[in-house]
Amino acid sequence: MSSEAGTVLTMRAIGKSFPGVRALDGVSLTVAEGEVVALLGENGAGKSTLMNILAGVFKDYEGEIEVGGQVAHIHSPRDARRHGIAMIHQELNLVPELSIADNLFLGRERALLDRRGTEARTAELLRGLGLDLSPRTLVKQCKIAERQLIEVAKALSQNVRVLVMDEPTSALADAEVRRLYGVIRDLTGRGVAVIYISHRLEELEEIADRVVVLRDGRHIGERHRIDRDELIQMMVGRPLGEMFPRAAGGSTGEELLTVEGLSVPGEPGSGRTPLREVSLTVRAGEIVGVAGLMGAGRSELLESIFGVHRAAGGAMTLGGRPYRPKSPKAAIRRGVALVAEDRKAQSLVLGNTIGFNVGLPSLGRFLRLGVVAARRANAAVERQVRELRVKAPGIRFTVGNLSGGNQQKVVLAKWLLTAPSLILMDEPTRGIDVGAKAEIHALMSALAAEGKGVLVASSELPELLAMCDRVLVLCEGRVTAEFPRGRATQEAILEAAMARRQVTA
Amino acid sequence: MTAVRTPPPVKARGENRMRRTLSALGAAQAYIGLVLILAVGIATKGEIFLNETNLTNAVGAFASRGILAVGVTLVILTGGIDLSVGSLLGIASMTAAMMLARFSLEPWQIVPICMVVGAFFGFLNGAGTTWLRIQSFVMTLAMLSVVRGLDRQVSDNVSVGTQIAGPDGKLTPQAEAFQVFGTPGHNLFDRIYYPVLAFIVVCIVFHLILTKTRFGRHVYAVGGNPTAARLSGVNVTAVTIAVFTLSGMLAGFAGPIDAAYSASADPQAGQSYELDAIAAAVIGGASLAGGKGTIAGTFVGALILTLLDNVLGLNAVSDNWQLVIKGLIVVVAVVLQRPDLFTFLRGGSRS
Repeated sequence: MSSEAGTVLTMRAIGKSFPGVRALDGVSLTVAEGEVVALLGENGAGKSTLMNILAGVFKDYEGEIEVGGQVAHIHSPRDARRHGIAMIHQELNLVPELSIADNLFLGRERALLDRRGTEARTAELLRGLGLDLSPRTLVKQCKIAERQLIEVAKALSQNVRVLVMDEPTSALADAEVRRLYGVIRDLTGRGVAVIYISHRLEELEEIADRVVVLRDGRHIGERHRIDRDELIQMMVGRPLGEMFPRAAGGSTGEELLTVEGLSVPGEPGSGRTPLREVSLTVRAGEIVGVAGLMGAGRSELLESIFGVHRAAGGAMTLGGRPYRPKSPKAAIRRGVALVAEDRKAQSLVLGNTIGFNVGLPSLGRFLRLGVVAARRANAAVERQVRELRVKAPGIRFTVGNLSGGNQQKVVLAKWLLTAPSLILMDEPTRGIDVGAKAEIHALMSALAAEGKGVLVASSELPELLAMCDRVLVLCEGRVTAEFPRGRATQEAILEAAMARRQVTA
Repeated sequence: MTAVRTPPPVKARGENRMRRTLSALGAAQAYIGLVLILAVGIATKGEIFLNETNLTNAVGAFASRGILAVGVTLVILTGGIDLSVGSLLGIASMTAAMMLARFSLEPWQIVPICMVVGAFFGFLNGAGTTWLRIQSFVMTLAMLSVVRGLDRQVSDNVSVGTQIAGPDGKLTPQAEAFQVFGTPGHNLFDRIYYPVLAFIVVCIVFHLILTKTRFGRHVYAVGGNPTAARLSGVNVTAVTIAVFTLSGMLAGFAGPIDAAYSASADPQAGQSYELDAIAAAVIGGASLAGGKGTIAGTFVGALILTLLDNVLGLNAVSDNWQLVIKGLIVVVAVVLQRPDLFTFLRGGSRS
């Protein structure tokens, strides 16, 4: 059946339960050819579950799927592929040790590899996406933004009719997002339907034809015009106050951290950006932002301050005393905390409990004769977890089963328990829902108000503009500009972020 | 998507004590296996099987491997593997016998020396995996070979007896005392069979270290996510070196037991013990991916292998079939740890 002309996909009354959770309940979705439909909702609203059903990740579910007017039985990724459905997962599914061409045709190779043919086809696809890469390049040598586009190329190589993108921009800087939009417009121009999951409302205004809002596994409504306040209210089920709750220009105290001419060598092969003579200060009670494109050295800067990488030159002071951390352990001892960029890979032991994770860096405080005073440690952990309103049945709950926003709160709880004076945050709100995001912003303000220093790197410029007293801009490992609050604009920051070598601001 | 929606707020402390205790005791399937084997043992050879001497001897024969399993569990928890423990036990048992035969050292002097020897090679394992960044499988595989070679070289490929007779034709006092480490029929204070006691004490000590100390938590953190551990201030290198050293030290501790049990140190002693040790840890619920496992589980796993050997032996099942059954039990134990596998086997579809 095809009720509407051009309808390429219809999902009808889709339901799915996990042990103890009704993840989806009677959700329907139709998508037309060449349309970009945005799926919006908090973490745990059911967006990824719905899309995983479409992509054949789940074997069993309730409801019916039609592709091009025909009932489609999708119970495996292979089924989905046969019906022209491709999904680009949030965690990219590429094999790092294989070349781009090998990745594109993985699982579809002929018994006797046709290297020349696949490489030619790959080169063509890459050119079409404006990617200047050789098909033989190993994926591990590509930047995240490039990998994202390689995933798109992979989808395109399969004659895709419906392309699902789960948070495609969460790892991208603004300039790279532009390029992705260009690619999406090109695809829709060729009649491909795109289902787009994102937490960034501002993006949807630009790219989406229609927004569908899910909440608690239910279809809440859809809109053709994007009204942010209304959408947020639909998502969280309640009106939300100011997105960024920070009052302008708090008073700032003493210099907490000074960095003078910090140079850190890069690492060949790992794609780590070297830092070149970076200087900055963070005062007590101040939130300082670090902006820059992908690969500008934002993470490297925070990690170097945290003692992850050895500095080759420069000097730092912390609280007026020389500061030369040999390891994260030494940095933690001096009262520094790092909320790392990738919470799953860098911050959490996913298979272990909330209590284990939150307590990990603070165990030294709870030792009695070398033995962890478990009751005292657990009490402290519970207090911290409650304060941050982590939604979980208890601190014995496994972290891996929490939603993204709650995982991030666990990371924050873990660091707050160490009572740091300087908190380094790398993409603290990436990939988490609006509600949790607002809570984290409020927390940042509260920390600054308590006199702690906060150094935050983010690829979301609105977040930096609203939250920070000052914004530093990095480009290719050096500071190219610094803006005080009020004088920073998206345009000025972007310009400085793209100020390659010759220009200095 | 991991959907955890509107769950209740964090509960007050002190709850779920029951569940906590259960999880500390190890994986449930191990107990099921233990009960099954006991049942088979009692049903087939009840009287002989339940005889105290039989049970003590069974555990005694396996105790040295059980102690190795505790060390291997530590390494597995950090996400590594230690294949060298069998060889380390061999060289420690040789060290013990030679100390006794050549220098007439007292038993209480021999044990620390053996532990230092084991710890030394264990430390090299740790140093290789961290500083030289050799995968632990490779590093300890090499150590297995190197140490076995050294063992055979120092012993000239001849086993060294521990029943050393003095000029009067009787056992020397040191050799007499050494028997208490495990020669069947020789008990500590005429009551306690030392290998059993040693195994239980080692289990308790390391259970407490893993559950109660900061070091223990760090072991789980390193195995669960080394990057997160490092960024949380854990000295991953030190923890890794420590677990390998402890594993070697325990192998050294088990050496004299093995020598006393066999009344001699054979240059081949301990060969393939590492496989029994790993099997015990795995049956007990340890995951080779790291971060998951308990000493209690390993204890039960070792007990299962012990009693299995015993029950099959009593029923005159050949060694060959014993090996086959042991292998199958490992597979069944691992499958039972994966309840999701059952949904798959049942076909999964509910609608």
